[in-house]
Amino acid sequence: MSLVRFVLRRVLQGLFVIWGVITVVFLLRFVTPGSPVDAVAPLDASPELRARIAQELGLDQPIYVQYFDYLFGLLQGDMGYSYISGTPAAVRVFARLPATIELAVAATLVALVFSIPLGVISATRRHKPADYAATSFSLVGISTPNFWLGIMLILIVSVNLGLLPTSRRPIGLLPALELLVFQLEVSGVRTWLAHMILPALTLGTYFTALIVRLTRSGMLDELGKSYVRATRAKGLPETLVRYKHVLRNTLIPIVTILGLQLGTLIGGAVITEFVFSWPGLGTLVINAITSRDWTIIQGSLIVIGAGFVIVNTAVDVLYATINPQVIYD
Amino acid sequence: MLTDRTKRNLKRELRHSLMAKVALVTAVLIFLVALFAPFIAPYDPTTQELAGSNLPPLGVSTTTETTAMVDGEMTRVEEEVAGTTAHPMGTDALGRDMLSRVIYGARTSLLVGIIGTALAAVSGVSVGMVAGYYGGKVDDGLMRFADIMLAFPALVLAIALIAMFGSGRLLVPDPWVELGLVADRPERFVFPGTVTLVVALVNWVWFARIARGEALSVRGEEYVKAARSIGASDSYIIRKHVLPNSVTPILVLATIQVAAIILLESSLSFLGFSGTTLSWGFDIAQGRDRLATSWWIASMPGLAIVVSVVSINLLGDWLRDALDPGLEGAGGGGGA
Repeated sequence: MSLVRFVLRRVLQGLFVIWGVITVVFLLRFVTPGSPVDAVAPLDASPELRARIAQELGLDQPIYVQYFDYLFGLLQGDMGYSYISGTPAAVRVFARLPATIELAVAATLVALVFSIPLGVISATRRHKPADYAATSFSLVGISTPNFWLGIMLILIVSVNLGLLPTSRRPIGLLPALELLVFQLEVSGVRTWLAHMILPALTLGTYFTALIVRLTRSGMLDELGKSYVRATRAKGLPETLVRYKHVLRNTLIPIVTILGLQLGTLIGGAVITEFVFSWPGLGTLVINAITSRDWTIIQGSLIVIGAGFVIVNTAVDVLYATINPQVIYD
Repeated sequence: MLTDRTKRNLKRELRHSLMAKVALVTAVLIFLVALFAPFIAPYDPTTQELAGSNLPPLGVSTTTETTAMVDGEMTRVEEEVAGTTAHPMGTDALGRDMLSRVIYGARTSLLVGIIGTALAAVSGVSVGMVAGYYGGKVDDGLMRFADIMLAFPALVLAIALIAMFGSGRLLVPDPWVELGLVADRPERFVFPGTVTLVVALVNWVWFARIARGEALSVRGEEYVKAARSIGASDSYIIRKHVLPNSVTPILVLATIQVAAIILLESSLSFLGFSGTTLSWGFDIAQGRDRLATSWWIASMPGLAIVVSVVSINLLGDWLRDALDPGLEGAGGGGGA
């Protein structure tokens, strides 16, 4: 199969899963006891008023009509209106998206910066103190609930040392950058950074730990292969052997695993946001669930699910393009 | 289920690995603590004693400001409070003993972790075996559905499901109190039923994927063909040939999943979605609001989570190294 056909097939598959996500999310509401009318109507609403609200929300239509209405709405970027505030759900969901993406990207950067060197050190100094330190760190890292880690960081860094703020952040990345570019004002970026450090560390630790484990075991596998002996035998310096050949081969499978772990990253982001009052999708969805604001719940779940599928598809396509060994199947 | 050779491997690996020994002992200890909580906990974990609230743990002293009448006038008095052996982990804002709460919290975590994993394993393995063994349309359909399930982060899916079902809970009588072996302890404890179902619903996919892969690789083997040719039924072949060959990776995954589900349960309790108020995650949420004054309320239950999950993950490493040296890398995800 050619690369183009592979990419096409993968994209179609992704679209199919996104359609599945939308359908599952749509159906969620119908298996839930209670009606969305409960969230909107006053407690002492008369049956007539309830019927009118149901009609206005389109709930009196047969389920397949509601389904196609919802699907066509989504295609036009319409997720319905929040049952609680009356604002368009899509506006609220997409307003929260940048904060979540910023957090996820920052955490991934933290993870990449710390984990790969640690993993390499761990594998190349096997059974030495540095290896034990790195493996212990990674074991504890994958075993620590990140909401607790966040709280402990707040306790130590903010409460005891008084170093970083824990309040809801006043400025996002884009406004901060605008301030920097148009008014040469650095304070915005500085405030943004100060609010970003603890959440990024909180969310990034699990992934740092995970990638250290993967890099270590992957590199140990590669180091045992015969091509390594061959490159050493032809007199290549050890650093070249390690970084040009072994590390490169180790990192390729890690990319796929990280794509699959994206769900964990988003799930972790949800609870990290809750701990740090981060104005992202996570806090939005938790609040919406508490208040049973179904349009917001559905909209956020679809954006989260679709985001996961899109990134995974992108990872697969990228992977196939950079690695000629992949069999397109 | 396990052959003599795998038992031998397990023992050999255990002898050679200090970590495996430590992990096994710790995990067994935590299990016993959860099982015999009423005997081990020094107090009833729900008894409030406002006079002794916010006491620091043993070896720590804090200064608290109180208002008191001194010479007929209201004045602020600084009082030095030191931790005592009566409450080695201190007390919470309502004066409940933290050690007893941590001990009872182990029950919630292990119950949800073990029963949730068992449910996920049984349903996931059944689906995966059927998909892998029959292949074709059945396989395609089931695996596409699994893909859709995987597109939702475990935690998000779990809170969405709890939003649907509500956080149902079962009050289970404590067998030890029921038998009259111990008094002054809660007669019932909360088993978070919905959370257990939900974590199973969220995590069965990982088992399905592994079981499917195993079934796919076994179904073409000569002995399966032979069994079929002498007239063995499909369900017989799956039970007698396909399943036993997949026990090892499923067992390793199950161990890691217990750890992942304990983390997931603590996250749900932390967010207040689990319906129980006697759990590590719930206590961390309580302590979060009192970090500046009583840091131990959030710290102690968190340490309990880390110790349990570390030891279970180490058990998983041990099983993996002993049973299947080829199985490296990360297992199922999930958790937070």
